[in-house]
Amino acid sequence: MDIFKALTKIPRQVIYVVIALGVIIPLLKPIGLPIRVMPKSRQLFAAIDSLGPRSKPVLISVDFDPQSMPELYPMLVAVLRHCFARDIKVIIMALWPQGPGLAEMALDVIPKEFDKEYGRDFAFLGYKFGVTAILLGMGDNIKNVFPVDYHGTPLDSIEITAHLQNYDDLSVVITLSAGDPGWRAWLLYAQARYSARVGIGVTAVSAADVYPYVETGQVIGLLAGMKGASEYEILVHEHGYSEGKRAAVQGMDAQSLGHLVIMVFIIIGNIGYFVMRRKK
Amino acid sequence: MNITPDPWIWLSALLTLAIFSFLFRDNILYQFAEHLFVGMSAGYLIAITWHNQMVPNLFEPLFIQGNIVYIIPLLFGLCYFARFIPKIGYLVRLPIAFLIGWGSGAIIPAIFQRDILKQTQGTLLVREAFLRWDTGLWAIIMLVGVISVLIYFFFSKERKGIMKPAANLGIIFLMLGFGASFGYTVMSRISLLIGRLQFLLGDWLGIIE
Repeated sequence: MDIFKALTKIPRQVIYVVIALGVIIPLLKPIGLPIRVMPKSRQLFAAIDSLGPRSKPVLISVDFDPQSMPELYPMLVAVLRHCFARDIKVIIMALWPQGPGLAEMALDVIPKEFDKEYGRDFAFLGYKFGVTAILLGMGDNIKNVFPVDYHGTPLDSIEITAHLQNYDDLSVVITLSAGDPGWRAWLLYAQARYSARVGIGVTAVSAADVYPYVETGQVIGLLAGMKGASEYEILVHEHGYSEGKRAAVQGMDAQSLGHLVIMVFIIIGNIGYFVMRRKK
Repeated sequence: MNITPDPWIWLSALLTLAIFSFLFRDNILYQFAEHLFVGMSAGYLIAITWHNQMVPNLFEPLFIQGNIVYIIPLLFGLCYFARFIPKIGYLVRLPIAFLIGWGSGAIIPAIFQRDILKQTQGTLLVREAFLRWDTGLWAIIMLVGVISVLIYFFFSKERKGIMKPAANLGIIFLMLGFGASFGYTVMSRISLLIGRLQFLLGDWLGIIE
């Protein structure tokens, strides 16, 4: 069989196995490839880093599900660590029904690392359905939208939410978004309508769509996929805020080698295709 | 190797492997895992919508607190079920009309602000962009890109003269955009694979930390 024809007909099972090996090997034996922190990740880090104990709370919206965990959950953990290390108060909510479970996973662990207390240092509002009404309503009065927190406690009786009125009482809103409802809605209502400062963490699939909004300053910073999460983990680590596990950094060698394998297959396929076409 | 004794992690790992088995070919294990996922997701969504939405936002205010105003959204919501009764099926138009009217009023000005005004401002060449040579260069490239892509999608004039090279330039910018999107998509899919492999090799088998 012609070798170039074979190059265009590699069985998909072979491609899967090679990609799996390209990802598994660096997970077992990390190479330690360098990770360059991009300016957009640095911008978000700087925005949070400029806050302190006297600042208004940071709102984090967990707008993703378990399928997007590898990319977005490390962002949630890294941003929480950053906020708690800086003694910044954090309020968490979710626009996705699966969000509360993921937020609880992080809140079970991260606050303990920094000796943070529920109600005094952070609060969890839970999930609400109906994105437009929720985000517009929060611009008017957050307590009308979330009269009680995730555990059923009225916001008036929680220390950090007692005086919460609307977006003006939040220093930054960060949405960790895997699609809709997510970053588009936060930009549409919280930013465009109420001028809230919005930072965004998205899956890599959505990253290219967010770039125009970062360029215009509508977004204060962007974390794009697992790479963005690893960059934030690095910044948190470099500034001495946390020595905790860095899941995204751990995966970046595998990410790079996975890309390399795919690039090789694309080149091989193209060589085979063009040679075959010339022969015809 | 330090394999976990946690039965939930075992269940999760076996379901992950069942889903991965589709990469070889469709099979009963994959179909079982897929149907389980769809069923669980639907059930979870119904339960959480009931407890987080219907009960606190409608039933508690109406039936426990006695706030009679909430009868209006209840009736509006019930109108959706009118579709099942042909004689009063027209009632479904009421909540739909309300949602479209309210939604359009809420969304259109915000979209205009987010996607048109701000984005147009961002494309303009302003003095601040040229304080550094690199930002100035990017601002020019962006302006050329936006104009050439808009010309590509301008179908009211035949592509002759300056319109033809401008539209061709637009195609190049579009291809660059598609390439970037595809690259990010590959990155995202590899990330998902990494996440599952971290779970299998770490949480389940205990081979990696």
